[in-house]
Amino acid sequence: MTARLAALPDEELSVLDLADRLLNRGVVITGEATISVGGVDLIYLGLNLILTATESIAQKEARLR
Amino acid sequence: MTRLLAHAITRRVTGGPERGLRGRPLEQISAGELGLWATLWDGEPVLSRDDAFAHHDLVGVLCDAGPCLPVRFGTWLRDEDAARRSLEAEQARFVAAVDRLGDGREVAITLLWPDAPSPEGRGHAVTASGRAYLERVRATQAVTDERRTAAEALAARLRRELAVDQADVRHESCPSAEVALSMSLLAPRDEADALKARATASVGAIEGVRGVVSGPWPPYSFTEELGAGHGG
Repeated sequence: MTARLAALPDEELSVLDLADRLLNRGVVITGEATISVGGVDLIYLGLNLILTATESIAQKEARLR
Repeated sequence: MTRLLAHAITRRVTGGPERGLRGRPLEQISAGELGLWATLWDGEPVLSRDDAFAHHDLVGVLCDAGPCLPVRFGTWLRDEDAARRSLEAEQARFVAAVDRLGDGREVAITLLWPDAPSPEGRGHAVTASGRAYLERVRATQAVTDERRTAAEALAARLRRELAVDQADVRHESCPSAEVALSMSLLAPRDEADALKARATASVGAIEGVRGVVSGPWPPYSFTEELGAGHGG
């Protein structure tokens, strides 16, 4: 993991940084909304962040169902 | 079954983009002063990496047209009535947030450590004994604590150099072994590029870490207090 991030060019790190925000931040609509991305490839999208995103999506899905 | 995939909340407006993700119809569902922009989605709610960045592009278009709140990617609503009820239930908080964020844009700073935390530099060689293992764990923890302290100092330094108001900064120190700092700065749209340039200069002057400055983006990180279970 260490080698992976350090080896990435700045542009790719920016993309991962953005992906982290898309998956973990932004308004959460409560009540009748559910949060689900459903696509396996998305869990490999984020930065640290990858694991954080996967975990938080799973938690959010459980909470909002 | 047709669902709605939410993208952003704006002031209720006339007109706007007509196509959402994958060329599907985009709707503005209105309630009170607000509009929720969502793609009409037939079929399975399975999203891809391309959809995530298409969502980002669409949110950017909506935020360029006026104040808006990005909605977390992957937010589904059963139908328009559900979307309308959700907007009505949170009307006061969403209106206040739209006004507070205005045309704000987010600039992101990520600082990476050059290597993972390791006690090796402190003379703790790897051995097989239990005592040595515990010493190694303690040493690793000490390195981690030092890094967290250093990361907090870097956050304070960047905040000071960039002269950003307390309310317009979010940061997380050491969110992972590789990342020293993840910071988000909020700036008015017409000042965001200048802030990014100053941030790039400040980050470039920091020794011992690698820095990447990104954005400007819609203000994703400044809507977190609107999440479930928060009071506004």
